[in-house]
Amino acid sequence: MGSISLNGIKKSFGETEVLKDINLDIKDGEFLILIGPSGCGKSTLMNLIAGLEELTGGEIVIDGNDVSEESPKDRDIAMVFQSYALYPTMNVARNICFGLEMSKMPKNEQEIILKRVSSLLQIDHLLDRKPGQLSGGQRQRVAMGRALARSPKVFLFDEPLSNLDAKLRVEMRTEIKKLHKRIGTTIVYVTHDQIEAMTLADRIAVLKDGELQQVGTPYEIYNDPVSHFVADFMGSPGMNFIECIVKDQNLIIDSGGEKYELSIPCKDALNNSNLDVVLLGIRPEMLTEIQPLVADNSFVQQIKFDVEVLEPMGADTVAIGQWNENEVMARLSPESGNTAGKGFDLQVDTSKAILFDPNTGLRIR
Amino acid sequence: MFNFLEKNLPKIVLAPTTILMIVCMYGFIIWTGLISLTKSKMMPQWEFVGLDQYFRLFGNPRWDVAVDNLFVFLILFILIALVLGLLLAIFLDQKIRVEGAIRTIYLYPMAISFIVTGTAWKWILNPGLGIEKLMHDWGFVGFEFRWLVESDMAIYTIVIAAVWQSSGFVMALFLAGLRGVDDNLTKAAKIDGASTPRLYWHIILPLMRPVFFSAIVILTHIAIKSFDLVQALTGGGPGYASDLPANFMYTYSFNRAQIGVGAASAMIMLFGVLAVLIPYLYSELREKKS
Amino acid sequence: MNSFKLTNINIGRTLIYLLLLFFAFIYLAPLYVMFTTSLKDIEEIRSGNLMALPMDPTFYAWKKAWSSACTGSECRGLAPFFWNSVRIVFPAVIISTIIGAFNGYALAKWKFKGSEFIFGALLFGCFIPFQVILLPMAKLLGSLGLANTVTGLVLVHVIYGVAFTTLFFRNYYVGIPTELVKAAKLDGAGFFAIFRHVFIPLSTPIFVVTIIWQFTQIWNDFLFGVVYSGSGTQPITVALNNLVNTSVGGKEYNVDMAAAIIAAMPTLVVYVIAGKYFVKGLTAGAVKG
Repeated sequence: MGSISLNGIKKSFGETEVLKDINLDIKDGEFLILIGPSGCGKSTLMNLIAGLEELTGGEIVIDGNDVSEESPKDRDIAMVFQSYALYPTMNVARNICFGLEMSKMPKNEQEIILKRVSSLLQIDHLLDRKPGQLSGGQRQRVAMGRALARSPKVFLFDEPLSNLDAKLRVEMRTEIKKLHKRIGTTIVYVTHDQIEAMTLADRIAVLKDGELQQVGTPYEIYNDPVSHFVADFMGSPGMNFIECIVKDQNLIIDSGGEKYELSIPCKDALNNSNLDVVLLGIRPEMLTEIQPLVADNSFVQQIKFDVEVLEPMGADTVAIGQWNENEVMARLSPESGNTAGKGFDLQVDTSKAILFDPNTGLRIR
Repeated sequence: MFNFLEKNLPKIVLAPTTILMIVCMYGFIIWTGLISLTKSKMMPQWEFVGLDQYFRLFGNPRWDVAVDNLFVFLILFILIALVLGLLLAIFLDQKIRVEGAIRTIYLYPMAISFIVTGTAWKWILNPGLGIEKLMHDWGFVGFEFRWLVESDMAIYTIVIAAVWQSSGFVMALFLAGLRGVDDNLTKAAKIDGASTPRLYWHIILPLMRPVFFSAIVILTHIAIKSFDLVQALTGGGPGYASDLPANFMYTYSFNRAQIGVGAASAMIMLFGVLAVLIPYLYSELREKKS
Repeated sequence: MNSFKLTNINIGRTLIYLLLLFFAFIYLAPLYVMFTTSLKDIEEIRSGNLMALPMDPTFYAWKKAWSSACTGSECRGLAPFFWNSVRIVFPAVIISTIIGAFNGYALAKWKFKGSEFIFGALLFGCFIPFQVILLPMAKLLGSLGLANTVTGLVLVHVIYGVAFTTLFFRNYYVGIPTELVKAAKLDGAGFFAIFRHVFIPLSTPIFVVTIIWQFTQIWNDFLFGVVYSGSGTQPITVALNNLVNTSVGGKEYNVDMAAAIIAAMPTLVVYVIAGKYFVKGLTAGAVKG
């Protein structure tokens, strides 16, 4: 019903190539998130799908139909904007029904849809108000209501939560996820917040400089990144990257003070790569205080760590410091975090370590 | 068919205005320019005589007077209006209680026609019955004010009336500019110990540069176009002693049936405006780019 | 030390108030003189002075200025020319404002290749001295059979007013978020529907500013009036100038002043009532350059 195929999408503004060659298949009912740094082209891609910009090359197919030449209203798409873009001089009811009004739907049918949508989003008591009289969260819902009212094949969300305060953002995130479960329509969602991406998406598409870096489930993106960029971009606090020397299928960290030899799981890949120096990627949660039950593993080692800065986050404490003159981040329990200082005993678990080619940034498999 | 219309609607909407602009502005300018190169007198005659009309123009003593007057008028008018407008704006910026009423009073002259202004000031500066008589009645028996009928002073009456009419506008521009100054900047300066006069001189005034330029461009534009005021206040007189180029152009084109010369004078006026406008626009564009 | 500073500040502020009031007096003085002179009789004018209040106020001058003063060869007062101005101003203001609204909307929200250039060229046109178009426009009006007609003057004011009105609307509409246009497009609205349902409801302030600005400019115009009107179709500014410069049987300064006030009345009244919108128009047009 609402499947989307992006085939060879190219977009240039004058001389500047903003999107280079995007190929992506979005399944019907999927919640797909487009994420990337500023300027990566995600908003442009969104506008192209909506029909608000013209393609320079390639085609867009929605539900089996090539809509590349169609105007926005003929694509059966609804969009929720970052600033909500509610019509300021119309009340909530008219805002929601405006699209229906434009398609010349009879008044009584509009009423029915309005009722359904407003009760679904719990805004039925706000129908007479103007957008200026609503709170941020209420405006959000009205914007979603406007999109819902048209029963489109695809929902596009352009950073809809960026304008909300932190607490509201978390609330609305859950709302959106529940909504998706209920109505099951395809959603394409743009955000720069990777926590939103991880929590909401069925699949995540990571963009950089107009090219798709990786498309996969949150789990895949987090644990199986294809490049240094993707690994670095997703996850907060970010992944640690340490340069290591390869020796006999093990890694040596020898940069200062002590010498550590680490054993890693992907020995074959390391062999095949024929590299002397690799970039070791290891997530902060793999560097913790000593946990006796785990300490028996061949991938676990004890190291000395000089703590510089502690960031208590409540549930755990992030410790930033030096391991052999490499700056790394570790996740400690709050109790350990209290006492951590110079020469702290840290446990390193390399069972989920990832290796990258330091020259290309690509994952070594 | 419908699709074509839809896609090009904005262009279609703008088309009439664009055509009108091309014809009635740029086309007409070219027409006037061409006429200024012909020997047209009462009617357009398309016999080209090169820059003849311009030479006739520059050799015309009345044109000389008009141009001299324009420079005198421009410099005095702009200077006085700027200083006065700035001072008044600075005073009004000091959180004055009746600011709204005072602003209204300073600005109302802009709402009336230059003809009305000229008429009023013509009466006020009336040699026998105006200011002179007032001063006499107030005891300053020796006071003389006959500028309106004195050949070398008549142009200054135009300055007075023009400043009266337009300085309120300059004040409004500066006030808006002063109000746009970031509060934090003023606070920081005060913490650093700046007294109010120094605050204005060293920090706020330099920030007013763009307003200065806007004001100068607009005042120049008003000055170069000043036709109504002269007609009403002095009629260009005595004789043609207070003529300005705009009046010269009108007289020669419509009263003296010399449209060749008239067109030439109009083109010179245009070049005058461009001489101020183009550098200003250029510097604005350059600033935007950097 | 403290009390010294306080008095210093007080002296400073008193000085400022005094200066401001002094200038207020200077700005108001001509208006005062005009009113008082218009209410005096000729004897009093000749024997008295500018500032003196009328001893025996009379409306003789006003009656004469309105209905029987001589403006050149006729002596019908300003009344017929007042109505000429009305007949010129109303259509010219309405038409130029409406065209400006559509133009501004198209230029602000529906940009296309060359639209900024068109805007720039239009803007540039606001600055040209009208002397350069006076002659060819006279010829055009002549060939259209509109020389010396009210319609001709309306046409001229519309043509040269559209540049300003477009500027005002375009600058205003640029400030309205473009996402509203995107949202409306997705809702299925086209160029005119978006204008009608989204932009016009938001446009009251700029309509007011533009109408007041245009009204003031066109009512107060003299140049176009004096060049393009004939003896029956002159606007009030031209008639006023004629009246003041016609001294059939001795100058009647009171009539001159009454006539001047009559001519100034409409724009002054508009200014007093809606002054702040007028100011917005002035500064908006100017600061944008």
